[in-house]
Amino acid sequence: MKNKEVVSDTSTTPDEDQTELIEQRPVDSQSESTLELLRAIILGEDRQQIADMETELEQLEQRVTDPDKLIAIITPVMSQAIRRTIRDSREAMIEALYPIVGTLVMRAVAEAIRDLARTVDAQMRTSFDFSTLWRRFQARLGGVKASELTLRDALPFHVSELFLIHREKGLLLLHLSSSPDMTPDSDLISSMLTAIRDFVQDSFGQGKTGQLNEIQYGEQSILLETASHVYLAAVVDGVTPTGFRTAMRERVIEISHAYEDTLRNYDGEVKALQNTAPSLQSLIENHYSKQHSNQVQKRVLVGVMGLLICGILGCVLGGWGWQRLASPPTPVVVVVTATSTATPSPTPQPTATPTFTPSLTPTPTSTATPTATPTMSPTATPIMVVAGTMVGSAWVHVAPGDDTERLTVALERDLSVEVLGAFQDWYRVRWSPQSGAEVVGWVPARWVETVDPIPPELVTPDPN
Amino acid sequence: MTSFRKKICLLGDYSVGKTSLIRRFVHNRFDDKYISTIGVNVSRKTVSVSPAGNVVEVTMMIWDMAGGEEFSQMQGSYLRGADGAILVCDLTRAHTLEQLETHAHNFLRINPASKLVIVANKKDLVNQVLLTGDQLDTLAVAFDTRYFRTSAKTGDEVESAFRFLAQLLV
Repeated sequence: MKNKEVVSDTSTTPDEDQTELIEQRPVDSQSESTLELLRAIILGEDRQQIADMETELEQLEQRVTDPDKLIAIITPVMSQAIRRTIRDSREAMIEALYPIVGTLVMRAVAEAIRDLARTVDAQMRTSFDFSTLWRRFQARLGGVKASELTLRDALPFHVSELFLIHREKGLLLLHLSSSPDMTPDSDLISSMLTAIRDFVQDSFGQGKTGQLNEIQYGEQSILLETASHVYLAAVVDGVTPTGFRTAMRERVIEISHAYEDTLRNYDGEVKALQNTAPSLQSLIENHYSKQHSNQVQKRVLVGVMGLLICGILGCVLGGWGWQRLASPPTPVVVVVTATSTATPSPTPQPTATPTFTPSLTPTPTSTATPTATPTMSPTATPIMVVAGTMVGSAWVHVAPGDDTERLTVALERDLSVEVLGAFQDWYRVRWSPQSGAEVVGWVPARWVETVDPIPPELVTPDPN
Repeated sequence: MTSFRKKICLLGDYSVGKTSLIRRFVHNRFDDKYISTIGVNVSRKTVSVSPAGNVVEVTMMIWDMAGGEEFSQMQGSYLRGADGAILVCDLTRAHTLEQLETHAHNFLRINPASKLVIVANKKDLVNQVLLTGDQLDTLAVAFDTRYFRTSAKTGDEVESAFRFLAQLLV
């Protein structure tokens, strides 16, 4: 069609050659269309392919220039490539990634632990209940920080399954689970556990009395505690708290003893040990460790209170007993018979002071007998005394001073005494409980109230 | 209904068909690889029997022992506490019956009060059978029990043998 139009256009030119050409045109146009037909036959397929390729190229350009489409294309390929590289060159991948991932992980873990430690520490510092104090005490005993101990206690622990199994037969006696919906085949597990125990015992325990105590797989463990006829298997996650194994052992021994006859001749009855369920249930509860520590705390609290009460009672009774021994109702006195041939001395010298030797120790009777005689050297001067009253009970000393020997005689409050001398804060006093008997010695001045002031003559510069 | 669990052991020479019998009788079991690992595999089957008119449920914990020499030392531990045993021989191999006597004595030494049943397996191999009924009967009488000619391949008499033992145990 197009060629024909060209022909009609050129046909208007007046040139002769062109005229000739026009004359020849019908023939050429025919051959042209034939050629075109030939081209279509020969090149049609190539043309179609080129057109398709152009379309594809356009689409490809669109994908490459559009980031979302590009990601969608590359991601699966990249994933596949990375997976294959990790599989084939694991070490190389680790080495390549470690500088980045290792540092990243370490930083993240360190930060998380620091946060946790800070939280725990803050909690420890701000709370003052008994459990905290107890934890601090435990930590001090163990040589760790209280926060570390708290952290340790905070580690997860969970008992998921509990199997009570006949030791010889391997038959299941009782099974408890924290999630009854996901109960495993407890019968088979019991038997296989027993087979494994036997296998280990036969293989490695020849001639030894030991038992298989634990089987570990991944994050879970099977803890085993054995008694004479039964053993207990606990499937646990996490870190086993202190005391859990002891509790397991206690339970299994209790059961073994309580059901000894049944277990010794066990006939396989399924419900024979159903009553042991409550005893074992406490082990499977999630908050076991907390409960257990609370129980320990309670026990310790009771113990401390008991000790305190005992201490107080002991002090009271001890003091009373001592009082009874040291100062009986009628004060034990050293009675010095008035053999006073002593002549008063105007200035009583320390040498004039009666000295009581340890043999003066009185017997706890009111009729104490004198065993010593004063060594005072008599003088002709009359003795000057000042009347006084005890305002508090006080021990009588042989010389002034708290560190001097005591006479085991106490002068009780309100007793009337005579002050014979004074040295610093001490008075030398005389007490006459009865006619013909007296106690002479030194007491702290603060316990003696005198009617009159102490005259200077009674004040001695040297008690000796 | 009263329920019991009983420990049963399968004893017999290598390749007499112990595991095949269990496969036929039991559907739920651990993988057989345990036998090659620790010398024993445990399966379970619960059957109901009525020994004296009362229906009793018996869960049989069946311990399949490895027949090879390498686990012979282990067997003592595995046999301990068993309530009964199925002694398996191969009808096409005469010496497997001779060995049953040894197995039975070993078993009864450890568990004197337990019950036994004799199973002569592979009865489907009709043309190759070497053991006679008299031979089996003699052994059964010796151990005060009865024998079953079974085929683990066809299942013939397999269940009967296990049920008979369950009946003996309650």
